[in-house]
Amino acid sequence: MNVNLATITGIGSVSPYGPFAGLILPSAVELEPITAWKTAGLRRAFLVKPFRPADVVPGLKTRRLDRLSAWALVTSSLALQDAGIDLSQVDRSRVAVVLGTGFGCAELTEAFFQSAAVNGWSGTDPSPFPEGLANAPASHVSLLHGLRGPNITVGTTGFAGESALIQAASLLRHGQADLAIVLAGDTLTRAVYEWYEAANLLSPACYNPDLQPEGGGFVPSEGLVALVLEPAGRRDVRSYARFSSGCCAAGGNAVETIRALLGDSVPNLTICAGNGAPCGTSSPTDLAREISGHDADVVPAQAVAEGLADAGALLHLILALSREPRSGQALLLATSGDGGFAALRLELL
Amino acid sequence: MVTGIGVVSPYGIGLDCLQEGMLSGKCCLAPTKDVYPGFEGSTAQVYGLPLPAKGADFRYSRSDRLAMAAARDAVATLDCENSAFREGGVFMASTVAGLSEIDPEIAEDPAAWYRRGSGLARAASYPPAHVADAVGDHLGVRGPRCAISAACASSAMAIALSANMLLDGAAPMMLAGGSDALCPFTLSGFSSLQALDKDACRPFDQNRKGLNLGEGAAVLVLETLDAAVARDANVLAVLRGWAMTNDAFHSTAPQTQGAGLADCMRLGMEMAEVRGDEIGYVNAHGTGTPLNDVAESHAYETAFRGCGRPVPVSSTKSYFGHCLGAAGALEAAITIMAVRCGALLPTLRLKDPIESPGVEWLQGEVRREVLPLAMSVSAGFGGSNTALIFGSRS
Repeated sequence: MNVNLATITGIGSVSPYGPFAGLILPSAVELEPITAWKTAGLRRAFLVKPFRPADVVPGLKTRRLDRLSAWALVTSSLALQDAGIDLSQVDRSRVAVVLGTGFGCAELTEAFFQSAAVNGWSGTDPSPFPEGLANAPASHVSLLHGLRGPNITVGTTGFAGESALIQAASLLRHGQADLAIVLAGDTLTRAVYEWYEAANLLSPACYNPDLQPEGGGFVPSEGLVALVLEPAGRRDVRSYARFSSGCCAAGGNAVETIRALLGDSVPNLTICAGNGAPCGTSSPTDLAREISGHDADVVPAQAVAEGLADAGALLHLILALSREPRSGQALLLATSGDGGFAALRLELL
Repeated sequence: MVTGIGVVSPYGIGLDCLQEGMLSGKCCLAPTKDVYPGFEGSTAQVYGLPLPAKGADFRYSRSDRLAMAAARDAVATLDCENSAFREGGVFMASTVAGLSEIDPEIAEDPAAWYRRGSGLARAASYPPAHVADAVGDHLGVRGPRCAISAACASSAMAIALSANMLLDGAAPMMLAGGSDALCPFTLSGFSSLQALDKDACRPFDQNRKGLNLGEGAAVLVLETLDAAVARDANVLAVLRGWAMTNDAFHSTAPQTQGAGLADCMRLGMEMAEVRGDEIGYVNAHGTGTPLNDVAESHAYETAFRGCGRPVPVSSTKSYFGHCLGAAGALEAAITIMAVRCGALLPTLRLKDPIESPGVEWLQGEVRREVLPLAMSVSAGFGGSNTALIFGSRS
């Protein structure tokens, strides 16, 4: 998919590194023991440490919201602040919000099931029902900031974050918005964690404090990243990267498709995202080398972002920008276990 | 270009069933307790849904199965070995997705629930993305896949965003639509919000009391004009314009004056380069809830102000309820049907319409007239609005 250049001018994140406006300050992040629910022995994951949203964004009210909605309000505010955007000077009917998520508001969905388990279907608590809808976080972003442009919540197996970025850029290209807030992420809940466990997907490091996540397997994570996306050259401001094109497919020849996307340019950096599962016979790293050559500079997938499964792309991207500051052409590359792939072409600034 | 339409509705599988049922004025709403004991009110259920292959039934939710049947119906006349089809994309909407397969007991002890029977696989169908995968895998298409969950505007948005993707060159063909199953989760949720009418709903009536839930799926095959002409496709309708806005007003209530919806209709008409008086019919969102219908009537007054005549509007949710994430695509299919048949469908049970001088509330009998352009309007929790404008090929 070709899009006119769209520039990333603001970043906000809530992740196991904490809440940040702009790039994440490089630091070590540890697996934390799960205490939010009773576990059968030690269970670990990459967790967002509890914080009061109003301590990060003064005045923010998040009671009764799913954590994903609360984080959407925090990250969108931080990203707008980072981009230096004064919304009172912007036509807010021209601002879009696009969220990519795998599980949506899983916490309040579970809460609604909980109220049905306790009171029966005829006695459910009304408040978690609308707040548990997958589009609630994006809707709250529009509500908080008064944004009246398109409001979209997408999911794609393996590539929800990539899909969100592609859809947002498409809205800008078609003149359906002048500015977009793109978000991607998920919360970790008991039902989600125990699904991974029941499916035998968890890394041994989830059970053993002496093991590191790099040892293999999957370590669940949580967090949300927001980016401000604007048409290139619209404002004379600092930019992190320019997004020029992207593709996402459920199958087919990944190398051929991505080479067609890149045209004549060969990226000097490939940022691997996705779950590292085989794409045909290629892992993301192998696929990166096949596309860019064996000497290609490849940033392997980061475990903390990989743990976000479908919705990790934006965290992969900002971690790479934080840790590997450089300029030039870059490719954000992800594969899924069943032949799917996603590629975003970026120019790092 | 719309070159295929697949529908699964309470009338059965196929657009012909839907057309025959609606033109005859048949209402599919029936007592909910017949299907879901313990629930009051009226709902519309799909019967005769094909079963998946033996051994695979636990992998697919009811929303998946509705979507797969609609998609199969949509591509029935296409050459599925064609490369454009193989490289095609899938954009499906769902709000329920696999929630229909999950029991409240999951909340008490998820691990135990997963171990029970096919719990693990049933829970895997939970994300809306599973519906897009079910359709894509079922048909063997391998282009881009995406799911959207924007409450009741979802599948109208899937169609709008698929049109964007075609213009972007993301795929040579898009299968776009939505699917949602009836299930205790949504029945209970809307009941807890006191949004359900215990009797058959009466959209736009002064005595309306709420909505009824339904289920179904619809999928449109979309191609660019060039692609459709190149393969000499049977063009069923032209998607002339589309727009999406948000109210930024309230989590569940529409903006009282319908300002966001009015903006959406205006933007859609601008894109289609048509005037309000050229729109011969509007298929409304028309849920039958007190707040929605009055806000929507204000939106029509604003969007069609200055037209030489009141704009003809009806809500076809009065025939088979509100199908949530599938509603936008089902109503897009009905709007195309109206254009193709030259048939303006009335709102059933509409006796005493909301006073709105700029609107002609269609009631009584089906009205026959040539209909070059019609609009389908959708809105949803979270303030999302979508307008789609369809025209005949000519």
